[in-house]
Amino acid sequence: MGEEDEYGWDSDSEPQYFDKDRHVQFLEMIFELLPSPYQTQEINRLTLAYFAIVGLDILASLDRINKDAVIEWVLSFQALPKNEDEVNNGQFYGFHGSRSSQFQHVEGGLVPNGSHLASTYCALAILKTVGYDLSLLDSTSILKSMKNLQQPDGSFMPIHSGAETDLRFVFCAASICLLLGNWCGMDKERAKEYILRCQSYDGGFGLIPGSESHGGATYCAVASLRLMGYIEDDLVSKTVSPCVLNVPMLLDWCLKRQSDDGGFQGRLNKPSDTCYAFWVGGVLRILGAHNFIDEGGLRRFLLTTQSRYGGFSKFPGQLPDLYHSYYGFCAFSLLEEPGVNPVFVNLGMSEIATVGLHL
Amino acid sequence: MAAAQFPGNISSQIPLSQRPEWADVKPVAQDDGPNPVVSISYSDKFLETMNYFRAIYLADERSPRALQLTAEAIELNAGNYTVWQFRRTILESINGNLHEELDFVDHIAEANPKNYQIWHHRRWVAEKLGTDVTIRELEFTGKIFSEDPKNYHAWSHRQWVLQALGGWENELSYCQELLEDDIFNNSAWNQRFFVITKSPLLGGLSSMRESEVTYTIQAIAANPENESPWRYLRGLYKDDPEALVKDPRVASVCLEVLTAKSNYVHALNMVLDLLSHGFMPSSEISSAVGALTTNSLEPDSDLIKSICSVLELVDPMRGNYWKWRRDTAVAQACRR
Repeated sequence: MGEEDEYGWDSDSEPQYFDKDRHVQFLEMIFELLPSPYQTQEINRLTLAYFAIVGLDILASLDRINKDAVIEWVLSFQALPKNEDEVNNGQFYGFHGSRSSQFQHVEGGLVPNGSHLASTYCALAILKTVGYDLSLLDSTSILKSMKNLQQPDGSFMPIHSGAETDLRFVFCAASICLLLGNWCGMDKERAKEYILRCQSYDGGFGLIPGSESHGGATYCAVASLRLMGYIEDDLVSKTVSPCVLNVPMLLDWCLKRQSDDGGFQGRLNKPSDTCYAFWVGGVLRILGAHNFIDEGGLRRFLLTTQSRYGGFSKFPGQLPDLYHSYYGFCAFSLLEEPGVNPVFVNLGMSEIATVGLHL
Repeated sequence: MAAAQFPGNISSQIPLSQRPEWADVKPVAQDDGPNPVVSISYSDKFLETMNYFRAIYLADERSPRALQLTAEAIELNAGNYTVWQFRRTILESINGNLHEELDFVDHIAEANPKNYQIWHHRRWVAEKLGTDVTIRELEFTGKIFSEDPKNYHAWSHRQWVLQALGGWENELSYCQELLEDDIFNNSAWNQRFFVITKSPLLGGLSSMRESEVTYTIQAIAANPENESPWRYLRGLYKDDPEALVKDPRVASVCLEVLTAKSNYVHALNMVLDLLSHGFMPSSEISSAVGALTTNSLEPDSDLIKSICSVLELVDPMRGNYWKWRRDTAVAQACRR
């Protein structure tokens, strides 16, 4: 047991306020070098970079990094077609997730293209965040080739050589179209039909039709519908007008995800987890129902997953990780924590970074 | 036994550079460029394995030793879809034994049950083997559920197996079994809904509704604080809320829970939903709600207002929501 400080808190216990300085230090450290356990996520280097860089922006600390170096590094992951014919060869010309999916041309050998929808979303979000003019990119080859990834049922495969299809990649595709200001990369109508088929009997959304409702999937569904323009902001105050989805059931499902401990769970009868404060809290923000949650309770829960070393963990008392830290910061942004930039929920980046987009 | 090929660690402890069978291969180092961001402090083993992987991948070497190398790389980073993809290419080229491949996935899944790539690979293999492996795949997911009954990937895989390969015969009793183990397992409730609506053997929701309502009502009566059966019950009448209102068993279980005066939040919520769909409450329901109002609450002649007031008090976390529900219900009533 440590000594009590002037506020009566045990000095060994975690700070009872959002410790922004430590969080910035945590991200700066990660930006420089991730410890070896992260090697299992090597394939998602761009996603890890997205959490660190957009995280610093949410913490209003983007001045800590060299933006030009970031731009150069991110652009080096782009898969570029050699000529116009290649754009139509069925491959996707986006961004690679890491060097371990990106290979240099070999004389006479195959030139594998492993670019991925999630990496492409993260690349564009980072570039926009550090102030790169996205109109400098060859958006036609990204968007035209992205259409090859859309399946007959409206869902998206993340990579042309084949992988699971689900709502996560519909969200990535919609975000990419919005960031590039051009919707020719997807058949919106079919994507909408797919999303609606994912709404479960209980009002939430599963990752694929038939799957259990899940906070992350529900975010992907609602954010995508909003990005594509199928729903408006503040749906709860417009319950009279007809809507493509069942809003009352969705609203009720989301609000019941706040548990007695104040945190949000991702599914019924599961423990609260830091990241759902953003996934479910974000949906409630889009629906215009954020004032229905118990903000004090949520804040108290989040402070139990805040690490004294900076960052957040999934559950109370664990070591922090980059993913839960980023969503912890976003959750505090939704709680309008002073010194934290507002997050633009639909797109997963700061509001200031979205300047110039047609939202 | 093929599984015996994978005792504990797949990869040999001997570095690749010291193995004679790899002497002819020149490893290709990762080029991270001039100013890398979020560099990872790779272990030596990781670096070496990936450097050899790069070499055989660029040489497009489809051989048994290349297959073994992909296993070692997957063990180090099971999320690397490039490695998995190349493994599939090799398996096709050398006509690899796909039953043994399922053994390999069994092994990898033990350490990484929540990895998307493993499940995609498993589906690829099972798709090729077809109905020969229906039982094996159902049993495999069952084994995962014995560790984690809510594993999302395993449930998706199981639903795919049922739809693509069949095996519906025992699925409803399997759901039953899981729900008997844990009636709060919402994944099992979801699977139950999937079975009663999708199984070609059961005749769909309309034939199953009667017996399912009975089952669900019992589950509610036993644990009225369990949100899962309440949502399931609404789901059974998803496209027909009028029928939900007319089913006397629904109002009856609400009354039972309200009268017991314990864990009644979901019951009040259900009555509120019924009222918004035109339910005419019995005097028993009205008085059961009235009995929940305390001294601080004036019993209101309007049942909706009473219910929302009680909910505000007993579920303060969602107090603003219940206020809003009251206001919208009142506004709705005015428009009628």
